[in-house]
Amino acid sequence: MTVRRSLSERAYRAALLIFPPSFRARFAAEMIEFARERAHQARSRGAFDVARLAARLAFDLAATAPGVWLALVRDRDATGENALPRDNMDILAQDLRFAVRSLMRRPAFTIVAALTLALGIGANTAIFSVVDAVLLRPLPFPHADRLVVVNGMQGTQGGQGVSYADYVDWRRLSRSFDELGTLRGQSVNLTGGDAPDRLFGAFVSASFIRVMTPTMARGRVFTDAETEVPASAPLAILSSEAWATHFGSDPAILGKTLVLNGTTFTVVGVMAPRQAVAYNAIPDVMVPIGYYPNANGLARGTRGVSVVGRLKSGVMIDAARRDLSAIEKQLAESYPTMNAGTDAEVLSLRETIIGPSRAPLTILLTAVGVVLLIACANVANLQLARGASRVRELSVRAALGAGRRRIAQQLLTESIVLALVGGVVSVALAMGMTKGVVALIGAQLPVDSTSIGVDGRVLTFALVISILAGLLFGLPPALKSSRADLADMLRTRIGAGLGHRVTRNTLVIVQLALSLTLLAAAGLLTRSLIALQRVNPGFDGDRLLTAQFRLPAAKYDTPDKIATMFERTTTELNALPGVESAALVRASPLSGNGETYPATIEGRPPVKPGDEPQLQLNSTTPGYFATMRIPLVVGRDFIASDRIGALPVVIVNRAFVDATWPGQSAIGKRIRMGDSTWRTVIGVAGDTRHFTLNEHQLFQAYVPHAQRPQIFTSLVVRAKGDPLALARAVREAVWRVDRDQPIWRFRSMEQDLDGSVASSKTTMWLTGLFALVALLVASVGIYGVLSYTMTQRTQEVGIRIALGANAGQVRRMVIVDALRVIAVAVVVGLVSSFAMAGLLRTSLYGVGPHDVPTFAAVTLVLSAVALAACYIPARRASRVDPMVALRAE
Amino acid sequence: MARDPQTQLPLTPVVLHILLALSDGERHGYAIAQEIQESTQGQIRMGPGTLYGSIQRMLTSAVIEEAPARRRATNADESDDARRRYYRMTAFGRRVLELELDRLNAVVRLARRKHLAGGAQA
Repeated sequence: MTVRRSLSERAYRAALLIFPPSFRARFAAEMIEFARERAHQARSRGAFDVARLAARLAFDLAATAPGVWLALVRDRDATGENALPRDNMDILAQDLRFAVRSLMRRPAFTIVAALTLALGIGANTAIFSVVDAVLLRPLPFPHADRLVVVNGMQGTQGGQGVSYADYVDWRRLSRSFDELGTLRGQSVNLTGGDAPDRLFGAFVSASFIRVMTPTMARGRVFTDAETEVPASAPLAILSSEAWATHFGSDPAILGKTLVLNGTTFTVVGVMAPRQAVAYNAIPDVMVPIGYYPNANGLARGTRGVSVVGRLKSGVMIDAARRDLSAIEKQLAESYPTMNAGTDAEVLSLRETIIGPSRAPLTILLTAVGVVLLIACANVANLQLARGASRVRELSVRAALGAGRRRIAQQLLTESIVLALVGGVVSVALAMGMTKGVVALIGAQLPVDSTSIGVDGRVLTFALVISILAGLLFGLPPALKSSRADLADMLRTRIGAGLGHRVTRNTLVIVQLALSLTLLAAAGLLTRSLIALQRVNPGFDGDRLLTAQFRLPAAKYDTPDKIATMFERTTTELNALPGVESAALVRASPLSGNGETYPATIEGRPPVKPGDEPQLQLNSTTPGYFATMRIPLVVGRDFIASDRIGALPVVIVNRAFVDATWPGQSAIGKRIRMGDSTWRTVIGVAGDTRHFTLNEHQLFQAYVPHAQRPQIFTSLVVRAKGDPLALARAVREAVWRVDRDQPIWRFRSMEQDLDGSVASSKTTMWLTGLFALVALLVASVGIYGVLSYTMTQRTQEVGIRIALGANAGQVRRMVIVDALRVIAVAVVVGLVSSFAMAGLLRTSLYGVGPHDVPTFAAVTLVLSAVALAACYIPARRASRVDPMVALRAE
Repeated sequence: MARDPQTQLPLTPVVLHILLALSDGERHGYAIAQEIQESTQGQIRMGPGTLYGSIQRMLTSAVIEEAPARRRATNADESDDARRRYYRMTAFGRRVLELELDRLNAVVRLARRKHLAGGAQA
């Protein structure tokens, strides 16, 4: 079928060169056939699998070649064939010895070239160690490739929660899954110890544990009967981490009890360390799903649980989605009020976890790849310069009978040895750089950052790219020397060939163009970060403290009890010295919490389910807007008398009013959100950012905590001084209301604001750093080429000066030469930047991928730096003494 | 040259699986890899380098040999390409495999006696 050899096939063929020729002669065809079959399979599964296969094939070759060489040597020793002349091992050994000697003879060249390569290879190795840990390794669970997440869909909106009742039906009716399990993560209050504490709880079905199959350190998992709803088996499974922190790794933990949310649970099992079963997080404790505390939390129509499943072997994700969709259609007929317009969405669990890391890591990997290309171009240029001065040596060797192939092979061996020296140095660099990169971005990665490091796989990668780099920068000089008729060159003047200059200029253009591309990427990311930091979140984050707590449902079982607790807490907080004002809000901005409901507007014709405007709904106590300094555009804030029994009220944001009642007053209008209560608009608040700084402006609504009492809330405190210094006083204020109430996640709003730009910031810094390295290496490159060209042209310059040209004219001549190269490089660079900018699209905010000012600025920077690099050679040229120049020949 | 099969032991997992794959007839390289991948449920997924590196070593130690050129099978399978070489186990290879399996059996029996394998599930 494949008549023409594809690029990848040619690459594989080239990579086989690292095997002994005798082995290649026997097996190369079969190996290529083998790789082609694999590639065919991988292509049908998508680009990611192709990339993974390419990496696997490269590892496979690099890991096995040394063994094959060794076997060859051992064989020869065993059979005594050592005396055979001119066989491949001898040639290789000879070439190696010669390469080492030749490199040692020019230490300056060798050191500069090896260091340039080490920088490039090291940066690649460091970033690869992260990419490998995050993107290439499978999740640490059995059958990880078959694990999926099932989300609910409302109309066309995916990523929604699932109703527990739907999950039960899916599990009963679907045929695509080995097993489906459900999970609801929520913090739980642990009491009975010295101070109340909060654990990360996972409310799970027994089938959930079977899907994820965590390794257990001791004890057992739940049985299906134990996680039936309603709940009847108060049992708990601890993580190793929680077992160590809260129970001192008590060896007799099984059978002991702990009090969670006021209920006594018996520990039946402990997981092994680092079992990140809950969407890549390690839950402190797992308890049966039936204990989920929120009233109606498991009712049909409440979409709050998460569902994971393990596909049957051979079942594709798409088929599973169609299976569930069909069931959802049946359910919509059976429960038209609850299930109309709902659907199911099936995603790979791995994608869900690592998806967000893919774009930034791809950017970084591309950036370091470009740095390595520039380094290779640079070394190739250095080699060419050397090649010119080695013409004599090579010609003599040719005259003595060395074939062109042998000479090319010799030069290539030298390049690969050089690259390997660079590779060895790079490993030391990479170890340091990996630590640096992990320190910078480790916290934002979806893997245990202690698992990232320079291991065997990463070393193999370094080896493979060293060899590839050696081939890359070694091939142009090797081919050139083998093609040129050396005897001819001996007769003519050395190195003045036009072809030579074209090759070298091309290499400089490649370097500059690649640098421009990286600079443009760094520029766009910088502009985007500036835009992000300039976003007005809609509130004043200065001196603001936030924290969270959840009341135990068993203790606060009536709306009155909750309202009283919240009221007393607000009073205590406002009375603290050092507090300017304080209020409670269910979900504070940028904390990651928040809920969204479809809105119904009074007097409007009904719309299709799924098409309603979505409102981000929050509950607050009076004083929230003043504390946050969110402006109230019209109307009033909540007051203490807005309680259950009084008129249900709501405050909406400006964006919602503008979209819903443009040009009208919103006050007095009525809306409904997720339930049957009509709420009257009493105020309009300014827009705020809630989940992320770069979100599209949400429609927002606020209702009084007292009219919608829920057990979870956050507190916001505007401090007079350092907000974090108030944490202790705030905790004690809450304890004056309820001694058993744990309270957690003390953060200043500054921290949350910083956190929301942290990932953009590190991507920008790293890309910027690599761009700088690229620019530096490319400048050295253009400097080197010009200096070299000038020495070649000394004679010409001498004649010009002798004929009356002044220093200025000579300088101009050199600069114009350089400008020509730079101009071509800028054009090529801009074209490639435009093409590459698409890669950045998802990582940009507030700036387009083809932003003209950014491109103009980086073009200027590149041209200026490149010209500066030309200055010294130009000046040197203008000072040529014509007599010396002419005598030189 | 008469060799002692004991000198070949223990086998690496890859060599062991290649011999197992060849135990019921001759196969070409890719088919060996596929069979191993299937029979180990994807636990052993070897690339071309691993496979042919091992094949070469096994040819040298004469536990396998190249099968004589093969005519197209009657049920002309389109992947059955003339380029492909087929490999089969030698009598010496079969002896090595048997000895290795005996050795592994002895290990498993020992583990059983120490209650380490099988029946330990709760």
